[in-house]
Amino acid sequence: MSDKFEVVGTSERKVDGLALITGRPVFAGDLDLPHTLHLALLASPHAHARIRRIDAGGAARLPGVALVLTHENTPSLRFTTAGQGYPEPSPYDARMFDSKVRFVGDRVAVVAAESPRLAREALSLIAVDYEVLPAALSLDAALAPGAPVIHDEADAEGIWDAPHNLAAALDVAVGDTPAAFAECVAVVETTCETQYAQHAPLETHVCQSYLDDNGRLVLYTSTQVPFHLRRIVARILDLPIHRIRVVKPRIGGGFGVKQEVLLEDVCALVTMRTGRPARWEYTRSEEFVSARTRHPFRIRVKVGAREDGVLHAIEMDAIQNTGAYGTHSLTVLSNAGSKTLPLYNKAPHLRFTGRSVYTNLPVGGAYRGYGGTQASFPLETALDRLAERLGLDPVELRRRNHIGSGETSPIFAEMGEGREGVPMIIKSCAIPECLNAGMEAFGWAHKRARPRDTGPVRRGVGMSLHMQGSGIPLIDMGAATIKMNDDGSFHLLIGATDLGTGSDTILGQIAAEVLGVRLEQIVVYSSDTDFTPFDTGAYASSTTYVTGKAVERAAREVEEQIRRVAAVMLQTEAGAVQLGDGRVIAPDGRSVTLAEVCTRAYYGADQFQIGATASCVPEESPPPFMASFAEVAVDVETGQVRVLDYVAAVDCGTPINPRMAEGQVEGAVANGIGYALTEEYLFTPGGKVRNADLSRYKIPRTLDLPPIRVILVDSYEPTGPMGAKSIAEIGINGPAPSIANAIYHATGVRLARTPFTPERVWRALREAGIG
Amino acid sequence: MQILRPRSLDEALDALAAHPGATLLAGGTDLMVQVNYQGRRPEVVVALRRVPELLQMEDGFVGAGVTWSRLTSAPWPGLAQAARTVGSPQIRAMGTLGGNLGTASPAGDGLPFLAAVGAGVEVASRAGGRRTLAWDQFLVGPKRNSLQPGELILGVRLPTDLPQRQEFAKVGARNAMVISIASACLVRFADGAVRIALGSVGPTPLRAPRAEAMISADKHPSPAAAAEFGRLVAEEVRPIDDHRSTAAYRRHAAGVIARRLLERALA
Ligand SMILES: Cc1cc2nc3c(=O)[nH]c(=O)nc-3n(C[C@H](O)[C@H](O)[C@H](O)COP(=O)(O)OP(=O)(O)OC[C@H]3O[C@@H](n4cnc5c(N)ncnc54)[C@H](O)[C@@H]3O)c2cc1C
Repeated sequence: MSDKFEVVGTSERKVDGLALITGRPVFAGDLDLPHTLHLALLASPHAHARIRRIDAGGAARLPGVALVLTHENTPSLRFTTAGQGYPEPSPYDARMFDSKVRFVGDRVAVVAAESPRLAREALSLIAVDYEVLPAALSLDAALAPGAPVIHDEADAEGIWDAPHNLAAALDVAVGDTPAAFAECVAVVETTCETQYAQHAPLETHVCQSYLDDNGRLVLYTSTQVPFHLRRIVARILDLPIHRIRVVKPRIGGGFGVKQEVLLEDVCALVTMRTGRPARWEYTRSEEFVSARTRHPFRIRVKVGAREDGVLHAIEMDAIQNTGAYGTHSLTVLSNAGSKTLPLYNKAPHLRFTGRSVYTNLPVGGAYRGYGGTQASFPLETALDRLAERLGLDPVELRRRNHIGSGETSPIFAEMGEGREGVPMIIKSCAIPECLNAGMEAFGWAHKRARPRDTGPVRRGVGMSLHMQGSGIPLIDMGAATIKMNDDGSFHLLIGATDLGTGSDTILGQIAAEVLGVRLEQIVVYSSDTDFTPFDTGAYASSTTYVTGKAVERAAREVEEQIRRVAAVMLQTEAGAVQLGDGRVIAPDGRSVTLAEVCTRAYYGADQFQIGATASCVPEESPPPFMASFAEVAVDVETGQVRVLDYVAAVDCGTPINPRMAEGQVEGAVANGIGYALTEEYLFTPGGKVRNADLSRYKIPRTLDLPPIRVILVDSYEPTGPMGAKSIAEIGINGPAPSIANAIYHATGVRLARTPFTPERVWRALREAGIG
Repeated sequence: MQILRPRSLDEALDALAAHPGATLLAGGTDLMVQVNYQGRRPEVVVALRRVPELLQMEDGFVGAGVTWSRLTSAPWPGLAQAARTVGSPQIRAMGTLGGNLGTASPAGDGLPFLAAVGAGVEVASRAGGRRTLAWDQFLVGPKRNSLQPGELILGVRLPTDLPQRQEFAKVGARNAMVISIASACLVRFADGAVRIALGSVGPTPLRAPRAEAMISADKHPSPAAAAEFGRLVAEEVRPIDDHRSTAAYRRHAAGVIARRLLERALA
């Protein structure tokens, strides 16, 4: 379908690529303002404690210290740090600084000083008298009767059941699962656990704040959500929204962790109190501990099928560890169901129950995959077991059960983002093509049929099937402004937030496509609340689908204006002319250039600015789909698992920029392989992270990665911009279940806990009497 | 901070004699981590990269300043294999064998080879002159060596009659940039004598004398004998629990790699 496009569907270079690779100072931390105050964080050494007394006098008196902020001299209202649509579905359970700390790494105080070193030095002069409280350092401890109550404050809002440490809870039932299981020939039940994981963006959180010439507050910051951030900071500081400008320059990766207000409220307060610029940058260890993480889950899945191999009932019970605060608790919990269950819509009986549990551990947040990743692991390994029970190839089981075009799932209507969802009929679904192309490229039939190896190193193959969404229907909004210049070029202004994902480029491609110009004729400017229209931000796989549609609409309006001007110039009808190659062409072949059109609009007759602003609030969230295939070699004596080959066949609708789309999948799969094999937080008995750095927390390196082969299958989503859906998250869901299923194929041993480290695999093998 | 940059061994020894508490800097891949992340603030640093005597590698001598990159093509397969597993290309370009000895980490990947072949460590100072310490006199505990103030490591002296059958392996959580969970180096002589030393499974690299004696007596070890060798090694190591692994897994992994190295040496 994409061959009907000129600019869309081609692998254009990133519009910001040259600046990035030549090392231009384009990041938030690169801003170098005179008289800047540097901030440093005093983090809680206790997992749970009340601050009896805090004496910041010594620190404040240190020459060079401008300000020490604690709970005694800062706003006390409660909010959520989660940068979500308003009203946020996350509880208001956090304060800028609190008199109680709830995990090792929680904010106690911040010092603002003339240099980073002075600021850190001053931290040691703050005397804090803690009343240490019993801590709940696991799901079970937090759920036990008599467990310490983590949010006992009276002024929190939106907590489901604070006395029982429940941030959120869900119960969705369709049909009657208990009765349905009784009607099945095969039923499989499994419980899996997933771990704390880090986004590990190259750039840690960094924010700089200053007052502009008119005394307005400017926040120059590494964020995925400039407009939510502006709103949240305005509320905390009790400032009118229009007194704040948020600018997101280039970002060194986010993956969800920057969908959060972690530094900006404090930077803003320092600048407001002192009138001076302030700079705060998390160290790598702070990024691990005091930023956000992937929520760990314990999920029980039960699946049952009838004789024909068609699923009859699915139950999923998800217990989520949200850590000390409930950021994204409800929404990640609901996505565990809503981004997995609709895939198998042949099952008429569904039940999803979930609880989000506070613990005295680091805080969960948004992380690529957003619950779908955690739930794919139990669901897709349960289906692998079920296929075996039914004597079916795992691919065949998926074939008999996956959703298809023209179909729906009751889950779409039942489960939304913290509220009811939006019903939807699937309009594009190339799952059959994904399965076929993936199997073929991978050599599934051949590799699956190989007799099991018997030596110390055993190969195996596994697969899994996935979906995600494209934005949040009826909640997300993206807007775009396009204005024309008198050389025939255009400015595209978007609130959307390019985190290194390439969204500036693909949004430019969409505009260029409609306006019949090359990408170089589009000047893209994004993510500045003073100059770009509103956008909810970069999350929920929304930018291509939602903002892309807004760009397409704005471009169509501008196209209309151009036609009207050109038609007058060409003395013909607006409906008769065509845009292309930077010209407007009449049916008889006469043409005017776009430069001539805009020059006339600027200086000639009937002058006006050619330009338009358009918005998109999506009415549905068409899922991208992915079939994932992994081949592993398991050393059954040492437990080491090597991924030998990986194929991801993806239906993302039209890939606006194929090479960048492949890059998103490659990155997500690599990210997922780390999550599956090596990445996990380790804790001391007191709840302190033991491996809060990139030398002890192991993300995969090139040598750890197999060839990752990405296939973008042909697909066209009629509701999307030029047929596009989304691609940023889905890739991360595949590795854990595909690798677990491959390990089973290689060894006959099922792993129920990520990551599959050598030691964990070795123990599982030994329990099974292997190795 | 004062930084001295001697251009010969004599100048280096003079610098050390004048500043006995000075900190020696080779590639800096251990030292700079301490400076940057553990707040170490040396007052005087003696940088050794310009000392030609430490860069020699010939006649059974490896200078302390020889980098891992150079060691990847050293004529000792056990050492070359170990060098290839160290860190990343950047770390191998800077890190040295002398630094590995200076740090004396139980996980130092160059150390099992030195222990397996029974290397001597040559050290020197202005006051004490040169002396050679057996590897196990030099490496005395986790991150502890017996270097005296004013002394520096010249290099290591290797026995001249080493066999070509030398094998090294390590188990870690990923394939590169990884600190060993367990590592081992094995050499096998033409007469069947086997020496094995293991890293990360004790306070210093460890030999496994009972396993060595058992397998050395066997000219043509059977698979069963190789398995028994692995079992004995697993018994002899003295691992601990830490964030990388439990002692139980380390013990098991040590036995597995010991047996595999033997099989490789027999192949
Ligand atoms: C990212 C990373 C990965 C790593 N991976 C590995 C690995 O896989 N395997 C491994 O074994 N190690 C690894 N290391 C540790 C380190 O690279 C090695 O220990 C290396 O051999 C140190 O050598 P250097 O020359 O850099 O030592 P330096 O840092 O310069 O010095 C280390 C210590 O030795 C002392 N010293 C140096 N030279 C002399 C001398 N001639 N006489 C006396 N004392 C001396 C110094 O004073 C210092 O105390 C890694 C380190 C990093 C940062």
